[in-house]
Amino acid sequence: MARLVDITVPDAVRVRACAGDAGARQVIYAAVAPATFTLIRRMISQRSAAEDVFQDTMMILFERLTEFRHEAPLGAWLRQIAISRCLMHLRSPWRRVRLALEGEALDELPAGNASVTAPLPPEIIDVERALASLAPTARAVLWMYEVEGYSHAEIAQAFGRSISFSKSQLARAHLKLRAWFEPQGHRPTCTLI
Amino acid sequence: MHTDLEHEQSVARRLRALPHDNAHPYGWEEFRRRCEPRPTLTGRLASGRALAATVVVAVAACALAIRVGGPAHHPRAAPGQMQYGVARHEPAPPPADETPAERYLASLPREPAVVHVGTRAAVETLEDDIAQVDDLVSAASAAGSAPPASLQALLDERTQLVSSLVQVRYAESLAYASR
Repeated sequence: MARLVDITVPDAVRVRACAGDAGARQVIYAAVAPATFTLIRRMISQRSAAEDVFQDTMMILFERLTEFRHEAPLGAWLRQIAISRCLMHLRSPWRRVRLALEGEALDELPAGNASVTAPLPPEIIDVERALASLAPTARAVLWMYEVEGYSHAEIAQAFGRSISFSKSQLARAHLKLRAWFEPQGHRPTCTLI
Repeated sequence: MHTDLEHEQSVARRLRALPHDNAHPYGWEEFRRRCEPRPTLTGRLASGRALAATVVVAVAACALAIRVGGPAHHPRAAPGQMQYGVARHEPAPPPADETPAERYLASLPREPAVVHVGTRAAVETLEDDIAQVDDLVSAASAAGSAPPASLQALLDERTQLVSSLVQVRYAESLAYASR
């Protein structure tokens, strides 16, 4: 189970990919695509939208591969691109209009994806569902803070908002997840639905 | 019952335990296919030009046919009669007693169109606005120099936003109960 930030590719492959070698690019794609797409699906639950963001991310990867400076693993560099594209998608006016008209499909979970090779345990599906029940902004903040290790200051900068915004979104996400996992012990108040 | 800290740690542990590469996208060939510019774009442009040219030729032919064949079907009339003929081909004017409002109402479809919209965008916007007001209240309280009137205005604003959110949620629950 490789995290995207830990994925590296051999220098020789990267150099060949920079030169336009299709075989080397295919090797890089195979190495990073599943983890990149999984990260994007965590932040954007709708599969079609996630595929669009994924396509953009991978195209930017190959276009800017010559700018990679080895300051971090290739996966960490790619993660920055993927998260940036996800946040651009979440902020886009087009998405907000579409959300108002259609709502968001909450039942589209990675666990239900036919291309997943092995069935997931029920507890993982439950966590996936809990995550999908959050508002997209709160879900993105929660994932970036708790899993990707971003600080509140970094999240605030990425969203173009204040640190308090990040903290309040995180608190709201935790409150909702608590109601999900402990439904009988805790009820959210109407001010923090 | 867990404490808040225990709960947050528990959630973080569960999230980190999720698989990091279980969602498989399309393969390399599909990726390359999507990268390519649409091959039919040039063809579409070419066919569009051809279509436009065909339309122009057809319109010109129709205009020519009307101009050439028109007098044969409509014998030339005296100037007075011509004016009368032109007036006869104009659409009938609306009744004098019909107001613009009545005309507008008459133009509406008989059955009203019902559009169902989701509430998530509204809820998300309201939650963002509440968070923003919370930021301002926190900043004003921390600084300690904000005038009480502006602080009270912020709190009033927050109350209104929360009230709006409650109304949206109430409407949601009514819609859900009516299904």
